[in-house]
Amino acid sequence: MEGGFLGFLESNAIYVVLFIVLAIWFGIFLFMLNTDKKLNEIMNELKGKSNEK
Amino acid sequence: MIWKIVLFVLMTFVIIAGIAFPIVPQPSAWYQFPLIPGLEEKAKIIFFHVPTAWLSVIAFLMAMIYGIKYLRNQNLDDDAKSNAALQLGMVFCVLATVTGSIWAKFTWGAFWHWDPRETSIFILLLIYGSLFALRTAVENEDKRARLSAVYSIIAFLTVPFFIFIMPRIMTGLHPGSANDDTSGPVVDFKMNRNMQLVFYISLIAFTIFYYWMWSVRYKVLIIKDTLTKKLL
Repeated sequence: MEGGFLGFLESNAIYVVLFIVLAIWFGIFLFMLNTDKKLNEIMNELKGKSNEK
Repeated sequence: MIWKIVLFVLMTFVIIAGIAFPIVPQPSAWYQFPLIPGLEEKAKIIFFHVPTAWLSVIAFLMAMIYGIKYLRNQNLDDDAKSNAALQLGMVFCVLATVTGSIWAKFTWGAFWHWDPRETSIFILLLIYGSLFALRTAVENEDKRARLSAVYSIIAFLTVPFFIFIMPRIMTGLHPGSANDDTSGPVVDFKMNRNMQLVFYISLIAFTIFYYWMWSVRYKVLIIKDTLTKKLL
C-alpha cells in the first residue's frame, strides 16, 4: 500500500509540489492572522494609554 | 474578516489550479489549460510571476499617492503608509525578478539575458533601492518624509515607461516584445477562458494579500514610531 502511494508520488511529483506550496500558504496565512491580531491589541493598548493621559 | 476568508479561498484555488491543472494540446474539460507553443508546462508561471510584478506597480503607485498626501497635509502617518508601500513594492519587485530569472534558466538557458524587461526591472530596483539609502541617510523625520515623498513621485514617473512601454517597443525574449509576431500577448490571445479566469483570480487574490500585508506593515511602523518617541 505504502509502496503504491510512494510510487504514485514519484510519477506525479507535481502533487508533492502542490502539497508543499499549500502548506507554505497555510503557514503564511496563519502567521498573518496572528500578527494582525497582536498588532491590533498593541495599538488598542497604546490608544488606551494615550486617552488616560 | 470576510475578506480574509475570501482571500484564503481564492489563493488556495489559484495554487491548486495553477500547479495541478493539466496543460493539454486540445482542452476538452473545464480544468484543462491549452498548450502554448514555446512555453508548455512552464506557462504556469504566469499565475505567480505576473501578479508579483503587478503588485510592485500597485505598491509604487500607492507610495506616490501617499507621498503627494504627505506633501499636502504634512501628516507623518501618510509618510508611514508611503514607506510601507515602498518596502512591499521592493519585496515584490525582487520576487518578480527572482521568479522570472529561475523561469528564464529553464526556458531560455540562462538566469539573465539583459532582455529589455529584465533590464527595466533591474533599473527599477536600483531607483527604488536608492530611495531606501536616502531614507536611512536623513535623520530628521520631517525632512526625510518630504524628500522621500518627492523622490517617490519622481520615481513613479519612470514606472509606466519601464514596465509598459520600453519592453514593448524593443526587441526581446519576453512575450509581447516588438519582435513577438507569433500571436500577440499571451494573456489576450494564447490563453483559453479558463486559464484567463484563473489568471485574473490570481491577480485579485494577490492584490487583496498585498493590501493585508501593507496594513500590517503600516501598523508595525506606527507602533515602532510611537514606542520610540515614548522612550526618548
